Amino acid sequence: MSGPLFVFHGIEKTFAEDEILRKVDLSLYPAKCILLTGKNGSGKTTLLKIIAGLEKPEKAEIEISGKLHCWKKVMPIIRKEIIYLHQQAFLFSGTVESNVAYGLRFTSLTREQRRESLKKALERSGLTDLAKQQANTLSGGVQQRVAFTRAWILKPKVLLLDEPVSNMDQESREKACLLIQRMKSAGMSIVITSHVPQYFDGLADVQFDLVNGKLLQ
Amino acid sequence: MNGLLLTTQQALQLLLYGDAELWSIVLLSFSVSLKAILLTTPFGLLLAFGLHHGNFPGIRFILAFFNSLLSVPTVVVGLFLYVLLTRQGPFGDLKLLFTQSAMVIGQMILCFPVLVALGYAAIQAADRRVWETSRTLGAPTWYTILTIFYEVRFGLLAAVLTGFGRVISEVGISMMVGGNIMGYTRNITTAIALETSKGEFAQGIALGLVLLSLSFLLTAFLSYIQSKKGVIT
Ligand SMILES: Nc1ncnc2c1ncn2[C@@H]1O[C@H](COP(=O)(O)OP(=O)(O)OP(=O)(O)O)[C@@H](O)[C@H]1O
Ligand SMILES: [Mg+2]
Repeated sequence: MSGPLFVFHGIEKTFAEDEILRKVDLSLYPAKCILLTGKNGSGKTTLLKIIAGLEKPEKAEIEISGKLHCWKKVMPIIRKEIIYLHQQAFLFSGTVESNVAYGLRFTSLTREQRRESLKKALERSGLTDLAKQQANTLSGGVQQRVAFTRAWILKPKVLLLDEPVSNMDQESREKACLLIQRMKSAGMSIVITSHVPQYFDGLADVQFDLVNGKLLQ
Repeated sequence: MNGLLLTTQQALQLLLYGDAELWSIVLLSFSVSLKAILLTTPFGLLLAFGLHHGNFPGIRFILAFFNSLLSVPTVVVGLFLYVLLTRQGPFGDLKLLFTQSAMVIGQMILCFPVLVALGYAAIQAADRRVWETSRTLGAPTWYTILTIFYEVRFGLLAAVLTGFGRVISEVGISMMVGGNIMGYTRNITTAIALETSKGEFAQGIALGLVLLSLSFLLTAFLSYIQSKKGVIT
């Protein structure tokens, strides 16, 4: 087994005297899926946002290829490798196509490569026919699919999915799980939060329960 | 009563037959006020953004300060600027008093708080996920700011239009630091004040009609924007 991409050490987070995370450690391996469960308000979203660099921890260190760095120093460098997806996707005003292409302009791809990559991604997700549609006119399920595609197209090393299937019916849920399985097989490290762990039975390699600011296996 | 009808008729004639003097005054008004609003907008909106996303003590105080400046009397801004620009004043050497530049500066001071306060309100209405989504997709900070501005563009446009409405219709600053010099610093409002004091109502009414139509247009457009805002966000 190859070594971890990133190991987070001692993540601490407090909201108004309330210790949400107490020295949480988490290792992210390529092509592995972590399932994160926990009660409402236990801090799952907060943990994912800290890993994605969207929320500041009081304390945290990140280990990369055996070397320790402080969160603040390396986050600007590694944040491009880590994408967080909201429980309810936010789509920018504009077309489906412009949403999917949003992050491409910050990559080193040429214009031609970007166009090619966009075309492929839309096809892969079955969004080609909807490409010119205004994103905010679509149903919740399709919006979620657009958000998936928008992240996937950037080929991040780590994908953080916050309750990805909680608002879906069974059919879309199964489709989404298949999609996640494909991303995992492609080598991505995936973290999923959920209230219903059964949904991800075949998918998750480890399961952690977030209780009182600690991860329990 | 007859007199009023007659002058109104004269006013309409001035407007319709393209009276050169009248339209040059209108043009000057727009030129000065557009410069003021366009120069102020980037700074006002960036400060509004900083106040919303910044995380330092005293933000509430600064916001309250700008909110209280929303209704500052224009003559007070005029007086303040006059004292600074007068020949004996600290910036007297710049020789800006009674120039269009002085009017632009004064109007910039006037619309700055409008842009900050209303811009803040617009940005505050943006979904927190806009920032997070943009950042996590790899956008640099400046691009994220532009994305947020785009998402709340109707609110920001409303702020800009309100600021423009405030400066194009003000008279105190233009009178005090512009000096109402024909062909140079005379704008719509100072011309109305002067013509009226001379008893020449026709031109005053004509200019008043221009200002009124503009304000109707702005208001109509603003309420249109408000309805758009409701649909989009
Ligand atoms: N910006 C914030 N300011 C203050 N408190 C916050 C903030 N964000 C989250 N919290 C608090 O932190 C705690 C953890 O929230 P978080 O959203 O991480 O929980 P969660 O496990 O994702 O919950 P859920 O299962 O409902 O999604 C909650 O008690 C919440 O009220
Ligand atoms: Mg949550």
